[in-house]
Amino acid sequence: MTTAEGSIARPGRTATLLGREVPLDPRVLLAAAVADVRSMPRSLKVWLAVLLLLMGIAAIAALIALPPGWEVFGTSPSVEWGLLIVGYVCFAITTSGLCLASSLGTVFGVDRFRPLEKRHAILAVLCLTSAFGIIALDLHWPVRLLFGAILSPSPSSPMWWMGVFYGGYLCLLLVEVWSMFSDHPRVHQWACTLAACMAVLAPATLGAVFGVLTARPFWHGPLSAVWMVASAFLAGVALLGIVFYGVVRLRRSGFERAGRLAIPALRLLLGLGTIVVGVLLARHMLAGLDGDEPGVRAATRSVLEGPLAPQFWALRVGFGLALPLLLILLPWTRTPAGLLVASVGALTGVLVDRWLFVAAGQIAPVTASAGVVSEGYAPYSPSPVEIAIVVGAGAFVAFGYTLAERYLDLRESDVHFGVNLAPLSDVVRWTGMAARAELASHLPRPGRPAPAADGAPPAAGHAPPASEDGSPP
Amino acid sequence: MNAIPAPVERDDVPAAPSPRVNRRRFLGFSLTVLAGVAGAAILDRLVPVYDDEVDAAAPLVPAYDAASKTWTFVVDTSRCIGCGLCVSACKEENHVPDEPQYNRTWVERHAVSEQGTVYVDAPAAGIDGFPPTSTAPGADDAAIVSAYFVPRLCMQCEVSPCTTVCPVGATYRTPEGVILVDADRCIGCGYCITACPYGARYIVPAAETTPQGVAGVADKCTWCYHRISKGRQPACVEVCPVGARRFGDLGDPADPIHEVLDADAVEVLHPEYGTRPRVLYVGPVTAEA
Repeated sequence: MTTAEGSIARPGRTATLLGREVPLDPRVLLAAAVADVRSMPRSLKVWLAVLLLLMGIAAIAALIALPPGWEVFGTSPSVEWGLLIVGYVCFAITTSGLCLASSLGTVFGVDRFRPLEKRHAILAVLCLTSAFGIIALDLHWPVRLLFGAILSPSPSSPMWWMGVFYGGYLCLLLVEVWSMFSDHPRVHQWACTLAACMAVLAPATLGAVFGVLTARPFWHGPLSAVWMVASAFLAGVALLGIVFYGVVRLRRSGFERAGRLAIPALRLLLGLGTIVVGVLLARHMLAGLDGDEPGVRAATRSVLEGPLAPQFWALRVGFGLALPLLLILLPWTRTPAGLLVASVGALTGVLVDRWLFVAAGQIAPVTASAGVVSEGYAPYSPSPVEIAIVVGAGAFVAFGYTLAERYLDLRESDVHFGVNLAPLSDVVRWTGMAARAELASHLPRPGRPAPAADGAPPAAGHAPPASEDGSPP
Repeated sequence: MNAIPAPVERDDVPAAPSPRVNRRRFLGFSLTVLAGVAGAAILDRLVPVYDDEVDAAAPLVPAYDAASKTWTFVVDTSRCIGCGLCVSACKEENHVPDEPQYNRTWVERHAVSEQGTVYVDAPAAGIDGFPPTSTAPGADDAAIVSAYFVPRLCMQCEVSPCTTVCPVGATYRTPEGVILVDADRCIGCGYCITACPYGARYIVPAAETTPQGVAGVADKCTWCYHRISKGRQPACVEVCPVGARRFGDLGDPADPIHEVLDADAVEVLHPEYGTRPRVLYVGPVTAEA
């Protein structure tokens, strides 16, 4: 119930969700939401409206694609994996990359990466949810997967392991988010550590899904897994670069420390990731041109000079590799805006890269595939339904993150401060991390209580959050 | 005998709240349980994953001893005339969609140029026969010196990528080595189709169904398992007018298949993949262009 001024007159029962009091009464909740929407700036309203529109279109497309609606996809017996698989791969590896980048702060204790911890976790949950949604729409019988994967497991299949790792990964991410907002530092530390391990295993297994296929020589080989992990890292860093530009530009919570620590750190990681992925890409193309395996040369040529060449040279190499490297290396473009453009370029490059990877592996069939051998390249173009679903999944991530940025406290917390995993305490001490943590405890920081007289660090997880300005020590 | 001490009443300890089961809670709990049972029942109806009654692999003849069979398929490319009767018979026998991109078996024509280049074409999967000249890209300008027809089907590989990669075990091997798809377990992910080096699989389109009445799952040649387990020949073998397709039991010394294999040198397609195909080829066979 609200008054004429829109204030909530009777809050009623509430529940605590991610550190916020949320009214349980639907009418009170709706009134609060309406009041909040009215108080939003116009630009935010437009942004959310556009995202909602894209999500609505995607929902309609998803309804069309629900079984038995898979005929609306552009796939064929020759090209069985289309844009939805590409979308799944992109969202899944981005999730892993987010964790890989932020683990430098959350697991290894590097201070300059600590501003990433909360934002990466929110983004990772959203990206992985989108990935699962896309793959569920791509599968023709998704419910059977839940039964079949558990009741008749197939450990010989990389796809089964991929499901295990990404499923476990989602659980760990949820624990990470919960412990982060509810002050459970030890649980959070364990969740971060395990999630970081999963962030390597999961994309590597996803790479193995392609890499084990001898029938597809363009994919076949152990480097597919390495390439997937490197792409994951680059995609995650690039997405964080875009988000942190927004944080600094819009002066969101913790923006000063983000601008001073996170953005230079992300620029460094982006440069490293771009170089590694560029080297792997060059190696793959050169090996493909030189390869003797039937089909691998045709697939490589389809990328370099065939139907996929425009996307490869313009988006993958030009916009996705050369431009980001240039912006990172040139001294006068080492600005937040430069990082934004470089991140957009790198992220686009990874997405196009995964598209080319999936498409090229099937576009030049190595064998006569059920009556379509008369064609040089197997035809495939994504249908509007596929495009709408993938775009809608991206809008879902942006929408969810916008709400998180508005309603959650995303300032870096002190949950890691002084927390050592008990069985690893010796290792931590030997590697000097404990010494660094103790040293850091002596450095005054706004929002953190002063150390006790005996030098012991303050109790983890109970310190008040850092101040808004986040001024340097 | 010691008396049991009476419980001590302490004012400073708050009494534990007694569990109260009122009508509303009881009804709520009951409805939740009922909804769960009903949901599970509906889900089971919608997704009969482990319904053994519809297991396609069950032998149709009780006396059929699967483990004693060593089925072998032999294709003689020197005999095949590319008439397409086998493709037509297969579609009829196994509910294969009429569209040319969906096939359990198909026929290719390999045209060899003076330079040794092989041009492969299979218009409409060869179901209507072949035009006089190859439709493969580049074949128009080439001087073709020879041509032959290569019937294709699932190789029933001994080292089969499709059974290895299936994440739910829906693709499996019978005791006599025939690879089948359990249409009630397949999730339609397409991994087996991507993994097959011979392009022998397809997803059943929505408008069609497998012989088990399911759409959206992987389908492939089964060597007409429903026929061979009754002692009959596969449909394509039965209709071939020139005997280009032969089928028999290698484990039976009296089987005529031995005569073919003893008389001619046999090859397999794509041995480089290491899949050990169980379809043997006699006559000219080359790798695809």
